[in-house]
Amino acid sequence: MRRVCVVDTGVVTAFGDGLTPLWDGLLAGRSAIAPIGRFDTDRYQSRLAACVPNLVAGPGESLIVPLLERLLAGLGPVPADCKVLTATTKGGIDNLEKLRRGQPCQLETVLPGDLPGRVAARLHLTDAGLNINAACASSTLAVARGAAQIAAGQAEVVLVVGLDLVSEFVLSGFSALQALSVGASRPFDRQRSGLTLGEGGAALLLMSEERACRDGRPVLGTVLGWGSANDANHITAPARDGCGLVDAVERALAKAGLAAEAVAAVSAHGTGTIYNDAMELTAFERIFGGRRLPVNSIKGALGHSLGAAGAIEVVLGLQSLAEQVLPPTVGLEEPEELGRGLVAATSQGFLGDCLLSTNSGFGGVNAALLLGRGATC
Amino acid sequence: MLSAQITGIGWVTAAGCGQGRQRQDFVMAAGALPTLSRADVFDQPDRRFGRMDPFSRLGLAGITFALRDAGLESWQQKRPIGLIAATAYGCLGTDGQYFDTVIPDGGALASPQLFAYTLSNTFLGEAAIRFGLTGSGMVVSAISEPGLTPLGLALENLAWGDEECLVAGIVDLPAPEGVPEVAGGRPGAVFLVLERTRREVAQVYGELSRDGAGRYFLLGAPVANMAELVARCLVASQAI
Repeated sequence: MRRVCVVDTGVVTAFGDGLTPLWDGLLAGRSAIAPIGRFDTDRYQSRLAACVPNLVAGPGESLIVPLLERLLAGLGPVPADCKVLTATTKGGIDNLEKLRRGQPCQLETVLPGDLPGRVAARLHLTDAGLNINAACASSTLAVARGAAQIAAGQAEVVLVVGLDLVSEFVLSGFSALQALSVGASRPFDRQRSGLTLGEGGAALLLMSEERACRDGRPVLGTVLGWGSANDANHITAPARDGCGLVDAVERALAKAGLAAEAVAAVSAHGTGTIYNDAMELTAFERIFGGRRLPVNSIKGALGHSLGAAGAIEVVLGLQSLAEQVLPPTVGLEEPEELGRGLVAATSQGFLGDCLLSTNSGFGGVNAALLLGRGATC
Repeated sequence: MLSAQITGIGWVTAAGCGQGRQRQDFVMAAGALPTLSRADVFDQPDRRFGRMDPFSRLGLAGITFALRDAGLESWQQKRPIGLIAATAYGCLGTDGQYFDTVIPDGGALASPQLFAYTLSNTFLGEAAIRFGLTGSGMVVSAISEPGLTPLGLALENLAWGDEECLVAGIVDLPAPEGVPEVAGGRPGAVFLVLERTRREVAQVYGELSRDGAGRYFLLGAPVANMAELVARCLVASQAI
């Protein structure tokens, strides 16, 4: 199995463009969650979300287009032989809203397969690309697939782009499901009551180690292992015993040839819903036993960016490994019983070379990535 | 060269529903798809099927017929079987229906039932629950007709050792009104069961393989698309 390196990243979140404002904001314990100004929220359970600042679309254009443009603008050179994997749950859903309201719009962005072609065209790549939809684990699975292709020698370079928007479509849906937190979400807190939506995206350029060295690219980190599994339990709720997540993590550990003891920190999904967070803590208890290791969720600061969440969390996971610190879980006041000694409202330092990043979603999907520290060729 | 044994085939097309060992008249015909009821798919009452959106019913039906054809429908314990589907339009029709419940009254009447089906991968979750499938699952889309892409992805999963068995295929309703048409696609669902090694009790249609250049072969002979692949599998099964 060839080593898989991450050689470049781009990220756009509610903290702005690039890693620096994101990292600084998280370490400072700030939240980018604020009242939504994009559409009327009077009839919804929550009026809050973490929206990307100054995101403006042209007439009839989806907001996904300027978001993608800003994301790709943050990337360095992308080799022409690069394969493209995008990940989004709803893509240009704002334009479907316009269509149903009888407003003019560019309709190609509502097609699930529009995004990879758009990325390939923008970067002048020959690969037509593919979009992956696996609910809120979409970009986690895209990173896993890109890594697997490189590890198996089926690709040398893969660009993974995950992004999703805050939309009335999605807010109204989670509101109808009574899954939103009235205030900003509070992952792993005993008083948590639901999720807050967020938006943004991340791009990750994956390369084989040989190619990274040959091209003189910096190795920001590595993808050591990956795994996914289905709960086979419920469409919108997780299995309470965390069976699918445990299975996904065990698959990732097996792929990496590592034991659970090698994991130094965990970037959890941590949506702030009662059942997701309880399921994750149960799963971590099963995986790590009584070991207390740093665990966090960024969704109290950035909201839940759906299909983009996994990719954003990989960018942050690599930074955490580089800095040996896990940002605070914003919104946390009193941890859930099983989370004591794991999650914290302040930054947590750690010593180690391996970070676990997990995501779960509708349809019973669970996905896990094991990330390694960067190194020089 | 990546390869796998094809052990099950199921479909819903404009010509009707079928599975490989029961019908030989597969065709990706133009025309309206059958309106699927529970009785078309399951003998026994199924409290979930009637609540699903048309896209999920279509996808679940295709997967059901393929698993049934492979002798894998019944189960006692959950199984690490994976699911991969390719779609051009996904659940866009359901998305439109759902948002029509949002527009009146500022979203106060938004349907939670419909919202649960506004992810193109929801039907994979339905299949996972119905058949106890704990392998990985995803829906993929590109701007062109998917061809054999989902089968290629399944071959990769099998080669990587992620699963021993996957159900992979294509699923699409007609393009919703106002949405641009993706060239080359025909509405319907076609799913194949692919297994890495030959199960003792399983009958095999043939070996599907893909070379390094991305070309597909059935029993060593080139195959161009899903319709041709299924048709040739059915001919091969008659010969057996």
